[in-house]
Formats: sequence, C-alpha cells, structure tokens
Amino acid sequence: MSKQTAMESEATATTGETLVEVRNLKKYYEGGGMFGGDPVKAVDGVSFDIQKGETLGLVGESGCGKTTLGRTLVQLEDATDGEIHFDGRDITSISGEELKAWRQDTQMVFQDPESSLNDRMTVGEIVREPLDVHDWKTPQERRARVRELLETVGLREEHYYRYPHQFSGGQRQRIGIARALALEPDFIVLDEPVSALDVSVQAKVLNLLEDLQNEFGLTYLFIAHDLAVVRHICDRVAVMYLGNIMELGPADDLFDSPSNPYTHALLSAIPEPDPTSKRDRITLRGTPPSPRDPPEGCPFSTRCPVKIKPEEYRDLDDELWTRIEVLREVIRERSRAERSLSDRARELLGMETRYSSIEEIREEVFGDVAVPSRVETHIDEVADYVRAGKEAEARRYLFEEFGSECDYERPELYDVDGVQSVSLCHRHQSEHEEPATVYERQLSASGSK
Amino acid sequence: MSVLTDERRERTDGRPLLEISHLQTSFYTDKEVIRAVDDVSFDIHPGETVGIVGESGSGKSVTARSIMGLIESPGRIDGGAVKFRDLDTVRRFAKKYDKRTVDVTDEALAEAKGNDAETDADAFRSLVSKKDFVFVEERNGDEITAGYVDTTRAPDGAMRNVRGGGIAMVFQDPLTSLNPVYTVGNQIKESLRIHRGLSGQAATEKAIDLLEAVGIPDAARRVREYPHQFSGGMRQRAVIAMALACDPELLICDEPTTALDVTIQAQILELLDDIQEERDLGIMFITHDMGVIAEIADRVNVMYAGEIVETAGAVDLFENPRHPYTRGLLQSIPGTQGPDERLRTIEGDVPTPNEKPTYCRFAPRCPEAFDACDRVHPVPVAVNEDAADHAAACLLYPEDRSREDAVTLHDEQGKGETDAKTSGTTTGGATSDGTAADGGDTQ
Ligand code: SF4
Ligand code: SF4
Repeated sequence: MSKQTAMESEATATTGETLVEVRNLKKYYEGGGMFGGDPVKAVDGVSFDIQKGETLGLVGESGCGKTTLGRTLVQLEDATDGEIHFDGRDITSISGEELKAWRQDTQMVFQDPESSLNDRMTVGEIVREPLDVHDWKTPQERRARVRELLETVGLREEHYYRYPHQFSGGQRQRIGIARALALEPDFIVLDEPVSALDVSVQAKVLNLLEDLQNEFGLTYLFIAHDLAVVRHICDRVAVMYLGNIMELGPADDLFDSPSNPYTHALLSAIPEPDPTSKRDRITLRGTPPSPRDPPEGCPFSTRCPVKIKPEEYRDLDDELWTRIEVLREVIRERSRAERSLSDRARELLGMETRYSSIEEIREEVFGDVAVPSRVETHIDEVADYVRAGKEAEARRYLFEEFGSECDYERPELYDVDGVQSVSLCHRHQSEHEEPATVYERQLSASGSK
Repeated sequence: MSVLTDERRERTDGRPLLEISHLQTSFYTDKEVIRAVDDVSFDIHPGETVGIVGESGSGKSVTARSIMGLIESPGRIDGGAVKFRDLDTVRRFAKKYDKRTVDVTDEALAEAKGNDAETDADAFRSLVSKKDFVFVEERNGDEITAGYVDTTRAPDGAMRNVRGGGIAMVFQDPLTSLNPVYTVGNQIKESLRIHRGLSGQAATEKAIDLLEAVGIPDAARRVREYPHQFSGGMRQRAVIAMALACDPELLICDEPTTALDVTIQAQILELLDDIQEERDLGIMFITHDMGVIAEIADRVNVMYAGEIVETAGAVDLFENPRHPYTRGLLQSIPGTQGPDERLRTIEGDVPTPNEKPTYCRFAPRCPEAFDACDRVHPVPVAVNEDAADHAAACLLYPEDRSREDAVTLHDEQGKGETDAKTSGTTTGGATSDGTAADGGDTQ
C-alpha cells in the first residue's frame, strides 16, 4: 500500500528530474584545544539526491549535522570532501562570477527570524539587499519587485518602511522568506523555519511555504526537528544521526513503517496530542557520542537497543546485555573525560580523585543481576585495567570481547523490502532479523513482565 | 511508597495542595498596563499533574512566577490568593511568623460575625490584617490541622524558604538554575544542608543518590563535575535532582523539555512520571506543546490572553475540546487533520490584554463569534449540566441552555464575581466560580 501512495505522491510533486546530487559529502572541523586534534566530523559521508520541485526533509537531534549539511549545500561552508552537483554542475569547485551566478539560484531561510534580520534596516531594505548585491535591474524596478514580494508573502506595502522589531515572529519569518525569494531561486534551504513560532502562527507559515512552492516551482530542503511538521510538508525524508543519514525514504513509508533502528526510536519518542494513545515507547539510553570520537562501526551502535550481539553471547539475557552496554558507556565516558592537571597530579600521587572506584561502578551496574562466570571473568579483567588507570585499554578490551559487527563495521545503506526507503543498518542483511522484529519481541517481553 | 502517600494525603486532608483563586498580575509600563494574568483560578492536588498550555503571551509563565513570588517590578500581583496547603509548611511558618499568623477557624469567623460582620467575607476581612500570610483554618487543641500559606502575601524571606522547600521549580534553561562556578554536587549539597540539615560525607552520599535517582550514570564521578561538563539533558536531570534535594510537595515545571531533543525529552518525561509516583508530588507543567501536555497531564488548563478559557481532564479536553480557541489550536497541529490536508489556521494575532475585559478577548479571531461576544465577558462555566469537571469561558456554554439564557448567565456571574473579588479574599475551601475548583481526583 505504502509503495503505491509513495509513487503517486512523488509523481504529483516532482518532475522526476534531479536538481541536487550529493555524493559522499564530508564536513569536518579541525579540533583545537590541548588534548588531541581530532576533527569534529559534523557530516561524515552522506549521499542523496533532491528532485526538482520536491521537498526533502532533513531531521535529527541537535548536533546530528543537519544544519551543517544544509549550510554546506548552499556553500556557506566549504565541503571537506565529496561532491555536490547542482543541475549537473559540481559546485564545490566553482568560484568567482560562476559562483556568484549560482548563488542567485540557492537561498537559505534561518530559524530565528529575530537574529537573522538586521534591525537597523527597514523591511524594504532587507528584502532589497540581495537585489542590490546582484545588481538586479534598475533601482526603480528593484523597489517595485520588493513591493510585489511583500505582497506575495502576505505583508502589506506600508510595511516597507518599518523595522523588523515592529513585527511579530511570524511576520518576521515572512520577511525572511520574501528576501530569500527576491532573486527567484530554484532551491531554498529552510533551516527550522517554524521552530520558534507558536503553533497557530506556524500553521500559517507552513501554508505559505506550500503555496510558494506550487506557484514558483521551488525545490526545498526542509531542516527541522519537529517530525509532525516534517511529515506534513515533505515528500521524502532523510533521518540523520551523528553526521550520517540513517534512513531516507518517502515520508509515508518512513513514518508508517520505519526501517532503521534509530528512526524507530525517534518516532516513538514524539509525544502525540492524544492522551489515550497507547503507543509503545522505546526510551534510548544516554546521549549521542561526541562527533569528535564517533564509534568505529555503526554510528548508532553505542545506544542501539537492537544491536546485534556477537555469536557467542546471543543467548544472554537482554537485561544483562544492557548492563554490559552501560558499563561500556561508563568506561568510554571516562576514557574521554578531560582530566584537569590537578586530577592528574592527584592520581600520580596516589591520592583520591573525582573518580569513583571500579568496585562501586560494578555494584551500581551489575548489583542486582546474575552474572554468569563466562561474563564475570571478562569484567574482572576490565576492572584490573581500570584499577591500573588504563581506561583506554579497558575500553578496547570490552570492545574486542563484547563487540559485534555493529561495533567494528560501518553498515551500508540497504534497500529495504516492502518500502522505498534505504536504511543504514546491518540488520537488513538476510542473515539477521529485521529491526522491527527485534523491537516487537523486546516490547512484548517487557509488556509481559 | 504507600506509607508516604497516606501521610501526604493526611497533610492536606483531601484539600488541594495548591489553590489559586482570582489571581491577578499586571505589568505597569509607561505606555500601558498589561494584565498578564487576569483572574485565574485553579487547584493542584497531591499526586496530580496539572498542565497549563497556551501560546506566547498567554500568561502561563507569569502565572508560575506569581505563585513562586518571583514577580519583579514593573510587575505586581494586584489581587487574588495562592494558598499553599502543605501542613508541614503551615505549622513551621505559624511558629516562625506567629505575629503574621491569623486564625480563620469556624469559631473565629462565627465570633467575628457575632460582633458586626454581615457576611463570611466581611468576617474574614475583619480578622485579617494586612501583614498576615499564614492562615489557620482548623485546630485540634494546640495543633494546626488545616490552613494555608498565601504566597502572594508572604514576605521575601518566607518565600525563599518556600521556594527551596515546599515548592520547587524547573525552568526551560537548566543553566538559569545552576551556578557555573560550583560543582553540581556542591549545589545539591547546599540544598541538602539548608533543607535537610545534612552535611559532610552524609550530604555527598545523598547527593550521589539523588543523581542516580534521576538517571545520571557514574554519579560518583559526575557529582564532582561542573555544569558545563554536562549535556543539556543531563543538566536538566541535575536541576531536577536539586529540586528533589529539598523534598518538595509541589514541582512547577516551566517548559522543562522545550530546549531538549525528543529522545531526551522522552527520558525526562519518564523521569518526572517515576518521581511523581514515588513521592506523590503535585506537578504544575507549563508548555506550548500539546503533545507533551497530552502525555503528562491529568488535567489541562488552556490559557489565552491572561485568562483560562477552558479546563478539563486531559482525555476529555483532547477528545472533546469545547472552546473555539482550543479547537483552533488543536486543529493547527500538523498531522491532526490528515497529512495531505491544508493546515487550519486561526486568523489574526494574540492580543495584549490591557483593560478589564467587558467582552470576549478571542472574539476578533473567533469563527463562531456572535453579537453578544463584543459586550459580555464570558466566565468559566460547566460546558453542560453533566460536565461538572469540564468548563469553558465562552458564551456558547452551557450548551444545553438557549443562547440567550447562556449569555444572561455569563453576564450575571461576571458581575457576581466582580463583587466577590472586590470584597477581598474569600474564605477557605473551594473557590466560588466552580471552574478549576472541581479539579480534584481525575485519576
Ligand atoms: S547496525 Fe547494529 S547498531 Fe547500527 S542500527 Fe543496525 S543493529 Fe543497531
Ligand atoms: S464567547 Fe463568543 S467570541 Fe468568545 S469564544 Fe465564545 S463564541 Fe467565540
């Protein structure tokens, strides 16, 4: 069913031509600071297409790289590696006049209408600025164009001489949109355009964006964290986590039958405006790892509730397995925590530091579960390393003993059966159970407890 | 847990834990007076989560700040009462502020009436002096068995004590509650020292316990870290741990998850739920997010332009919204009308409430407005005869009366209320308007 609707909606929304083609795009920021120069891998090798006339949604939690990706697409940031083709042309390598001409075709609308508009300029000047910069026609024609734009976005002519602070949040966002439209772009990156607005105002701006798309044949990349908004306005959706696209597919497929384990968890976390909703929630442990030190294998492997266990531990109780993952997280955090000089000095002098002993941690993590001896011996080893202050070695030991392909091999984007989505997860290989199957089993197990 | 529960119930004796009646808070600027909270009444019971939902400018945060005594110039509480009925606090304050404690027991009222007061309200006024803020309603011998502290009348010192003790608050930005130059542990220990008299090793251990209770792993290490070393979600957990350190009866949460990602928000909501169950906390939860409200609240108050326009149990409110504003608000949420439909919108903008309303503040935007809406101020009334627990401030209700009767009812009740308000604080017990006062046990 979903396949059918997906194809239909795509047929109506797009012409089937590709406008933007992104291949293996990376954006790293060089790390400063005293301890190591690991770069921040904000965007870590993503590939996707955007069709002419469609709205592609980009969702994910803060720090997942979605804003950086959007800014890189419009060349507000230089890509570290990879290609961005725009109408067939690689724009990462153009410059000068060619770049200036291309910039007319792509625009960006920012989240915070408050800070993205210069408060010392009138609304008219703000909207006219891109026309001035690009020497668009005559000054007279520019003014006429601005008046027309104000009307297009639902503002009035007399607003021309007012200042942004005299407007409400929704109206300021309209000013931002008018400005983005000035040079008749083909492609607009909308970065959280309605996140700062109240829901009744948000609805008006979303309707406006849809009208403008129909009227001018615009292509949108819509970045947002509000998934209900994204589902409403987007044809296809890409889900990002830690610099990677975890899943990409038609909005209906992705929301109705998510494929990737992270998408499952993300969707289940959205509170629904219905108090009787009995949806099962998957609560994720902890927070995403630092993009300076992402996992070697799957980006989601440190928090994934359906992570593949290594062969020899598949029979272990789920609860115990979770505890092992918690221990790994604690050790990982510690090996990463910046220690102050005084901490180091205290450690060297054998004094008490702000680190609680491994015995306490063991008690906290495993205190109330039975640990079979084949697991216990490895925990003993780990404890020895920690006692000796060798946290990196402890981390490595845990990785080698309890790691699976999720930990050491980055998954591919697989086509998923039954839907049009692609998903980055080893579980889509035929020798493993699908994520949905594992989730279902876990939920019914916890329900019967 | 059940022991605690019984004990807590006993402490408020079936009465609400917090009773807000006719609260009125305004901001006075050179240009205008903004009636940010305009005659708001509702209750919170122990173990109950009351949601306050509204858009920016609706007055929901000012309501919270008024309760907590955090209104600063040019703002001012102009009327109404906020009665905190935690017996522990009442007893403690009655001792500490005995000069500002007043008996308003039945006997005292009867006596005052015997003198020359005509009504209960008159009697009440004759007993209470301007400085009084601890009210004793019942005594058993020397022991106070019912009463309240009116936080709108309490002096700063007493309010500081309430804020750290009986009522704790969690804000949207955890950094406003955390001091960057002290470790998280030290801040929790400070709270423990003031409110539970713990210090040294005992305090450290308790602080670690609390951090563990709010789900912070490796708490023994974390307790010695500074706020900047915590992620956003962890910081909010730390703030909740701090709030719990003073063992509050009531937790006021002002958009506590708005700045967090959904998966982290889910963790925090789950945490609040667990804590509430364990400690039988009353929670007031302010948010603009209808999804969050649906998930956490037992009872919902919808605010618009300084007033509560609708109040009902959560399930009832979402299944059967009655006020045209609530309906509009729910319909403008994407996904509620089917994915491909155009979003419904509410015309116009939220007005700034500047004057005493003699009309419906929603009228300029209301799709169902009729002529009376411009001249009669709607008051909260039960939406129909059977719905004691669902009220709307809209002339369309009670829906089982003729339009004319309904309008007359609002007109008369509105006038009656004005009288009640000018006569000062009403005596204890339920508020007179029958709105949120029916709050009670929705679980
Ligand atoms: S590859 Fe492994 S860790 Fe990653 S999402 Fe799939 S199951 Fe989870
Ligand atoms: S009182 Fe009138 S204007 Fe106000 S909400 Fe009801 S119908 Fe609409």
